[in-house]
Amino acid sequence: MSYIEFQSVTKRFPGVLALDGVSFAIPRGTCHALIGENGAGKSTLGKILAGVYTADAGELRLDGKPIAPANPLAARQLGIAMVHQELAFCPNMSVAENLCLGDLPLRAASFVDRPALRARAREMLASIHADIDPDALIGTLSTGKEQLVQIAAAVGTGARVIVMDEPSSSLSAGETRELFTLVRKLKARGLTLIYVSHRMSELFELCDHITVLRDGRHVATEAIPATTPARVVSQMIGRELRAQNPAHLARPAGPERLRLEALSSPGKFSDITLSVRAGEIVGLAGLVGAGRSETVQAAFGLDPAATGRVVVNDKPIAPRSIEAALAARIGLLPEDRKRQGLVLGLNCRENTALASLPVLSRLGWVRRGAERTLADRYQKRLRVKAPSLETIVGGLSGGNQQKIALAKWLARDCDVLLIDEPTRGVDVGAKAEIYALLDELACEGKALLVVSSELPELLGLCTRILVLRNGRLAGEVPRADFSEANLMRLMAGVESAAA
Amino acid sequence: MLQPLRQFFRFQESGLLIVILVLGVLLTAFAGTVRTPKFERTADGARQRVFITDAEGNRTPAFEEKNKFLNAQNLAQLAKDTSFIAIMAVGMAIVIISGGIDLSVGSIYALASVLGAMVLHHFGPEGTALAPLAACALGVLVCLATGALCGLANGGLIVALGVHPFIITLGAMAILRGIAFVATKGQSIGGFPADLREFVRFEMGNGLSVVPLLVMVLVTALGWIYLSRMAAGRRVYAIGGNEQAARFSGIRVGRVKLGVYVLAGLAAGVSAVLSLGYYGAATSGDGQGYELNVIAAAVVGGCSLTGGRGSALGVVLGALIIQMIASGIVILGIDQNYSQIIIGAVVIAAVVLDNVNTWLAKRRLTRA
Repeated sequence: MSYIEFQSVTKRFPGVLALDGVSFAIPRGTCHALIGENGAGKSTLGKILAGVYTADAGELRLDGKPIAPANPLAARQLGIAMVHQELAFCPNMSVAENLCLGDLPLRAASFVDRPALRARAREMLASIHADIDPDALIGTLSTGKEQLVQIAAAVGTGARVIVMDEPSSSLSAGETRELFTLVRKLKARGLTLIYVSHRMSELFELCDHITVLRDGRHVATEAIPATTPARVVSQMIGRELRAQNPAHLARPAGPERLRLEALSSPGKFSDITLSVRAGEIVGLAGLVGAGRSETVQAAFGLDPAATGRVVVNDKPIAPRSIEAALAARIGLLPEDRKRQGLVLGLNCRENTALASLPVLSRLGWVRRGAERTLADRYQKRLRVKAPSLETIVGGLSGGNQQKIALAKWLARDCDVLLIDEPTRGVDVGAKAEIYALLDELACEGKALLVVSSELPELLGLCTRILVLRNGRLAGEVPRADFSEANLMRLMAGVESAAA
Repeated sequence: MLQPLRQFFRFQESGLLIVILVLGVLLTAFAGTVRTPKFERTADGARQRVFITDAEGNRTPAFEEKNKFLNAQNLAQLAKDTSFIAIMAVGMAIVIISGGIDLSVGSIYALASVLGAMVLHHFGPEGTALAPLAACALGVLVCLATGALCGLANGGLIVALGVHPFIITLGAMAILRGIAFVATKGQSIGGFPADLREFVRFEMGNGLSVVPLLVMVLVTALGWIYLSRMAAGRRVYAIGGNEQAARFSGIRVGRVKLGVYVLAGLAAGVSAVLSLGYYGAATSGDGQGYELNVIAAAVVGGCSLTGGRGSALGVVLGALIIQMIASGIVILGIDQNYSQIIIGAVVIAAVVLDNVNTWLAKRRLTRA
């Protein structure tokens, strides 16, 4: 008997078809896993159910009745709540105030009834067995505790369905266990849970059914006992993903281009020593929070607290200085393209030229001819699909945006490219093109350090892979030993016997 | 036939031009007429009344009927008033495009005027006589330097303390006007060398002061070149559009920000020079409320307060629209006290329209 039903749900964002006619059903009182690669549409689907987004087409049914929550409040009233990854509360207010924010207990003349507020909050927290002080400020809680408060708020306001978006991504091992216990208890009480994640082991431990999404399409919905992790992985990635034998592997690596010596930053990572040679693609793997992005950002001079040395072409450069990194011809393709990589309101030409302004201008004047030639060259070379050089970047698809963000550094003629999540939010076709391009760059003798959360990507692309764990280098895997199992073991810190 | 028309509509500022035309037509239509005495120029260039001599030899003064809005004198007045605001608005546009705001322009204008006036007075006919030209040059220099330094202080504090520009310039707005008041003890300062006044008030035709107008054109052109042709301008758009991405691209964000506030201050200094020349006196109360008009001009002219969007030409047209409305209030005989209400409403309407436009554009993108 299906409790929640998705029927041909479609959602479009500028330049991306996030969900394409997704249909499946979820029975009452189960924990349902939603899995897929980054950009597969799993979070979007959860958010549509919780009223954060509205579907462009298709239908949602709850207990047989069609629903269309227009906003999170409407979803709440239908008994659907969402536990968000990001901060969903007012950090400067207490746990109790946040819990009762929608329905503050009042005395006469609209004064807040503080004892009643505290009592109600305590009751809500107790119902999920969370040991949290209702007077603590939300901002002082850990992410895990804050998530518990979110769950308490959902359960306390009578939610029957809870959508959890990557709930374990920033939790410690202990907190994750606590969360699992809670999820099982909620299920036993008859609540229906939707668990969005890409951590296979958790899903197989916790969930009853699993739905796999790929590029916005529904691939399969199966009972957990009827499937295996390997099967789910093949459903997630399809077949075409790996660039099997990149050409750069056939060429001998050149001289060392980049060396990090004991690079450290308090609280983020420590004692990172690595080297990348010309013609190599070195992968940097690790779980969320292992310090991968922080490391490459520090190598680019973005971390004001970094210590250690960055050596480019055997010459040490001033640390903590983007200017020095640029002068040494290092380029960084950042993790978050929209916030860090591009100025979305400017056009393709202006974004491509952004890092090359000193080269392109004479006495402060931008040489427009040279600028256009440069932008045009890289637009063609990277096969950017845009109506013209003057097209505003914000309207392009994820893949084309990523190409423009990369073009910015190629235009600057960088020798060392630090590439953080090369294909996040990029569709499959563009992914293959970006892999081919990175391979091509390595063949030309550039040194690439690639950070990625998608292991198949690193396995397909890299010469060797370095693994970070809790901010420290946990090991190096040469191409001969490439396998997801080897990497996962290093990433999670499990002894080889356990695999 | 259609091609140039289509290009005109694609041109960013065409909407503003249309608004100006419509406003002009409406004002002309509803202004009514006024009877003014007729003047003519004699052979030696002096102005004198025209008289009509009738058949009996009686001389009666001649009058003519003029449209209250569409007459040379009113248009000349409008052009002059616009130029004071427009010059400052170009500076403001640069700040707003960078994602900042400068509330202190009116006060910078007052302080620059007052300090310039003190120098001009000191070396003017009533004080230590200096060669008039040298005195004027010194006064102008002090005006411009004051503007630039105030901007430098704003920018320096904003960058060094990392405080939102709204707060810093709100404080500067009070502090700078306070300094102007203390320096003058609230008195009006005049008695400048006559040359400055003669130069700025140099008129052509029917009372058209060309100097403020030319300065406005020059400042607009410089602002346009800076924003659209120079690397520095590109950096302003980049940090306004996405500060973090700009930093990740190696742009020295602090330095660019410092620069934009200096330019805004300098623009206020330029306006102050013109006002000294035009009015021949200054008080610490000058330019009160100018920040409203200047920000209004920038916003109406298409600058987005979230940064990253706007143009120099747009804000000058925006300034013209604001002045036309202000002048329209006088011409249509609406109570002067309503002008602030109307200008405030126009700013809000402009932003709402802009939001609707952005929303439409976004929807078009999603549909495509």
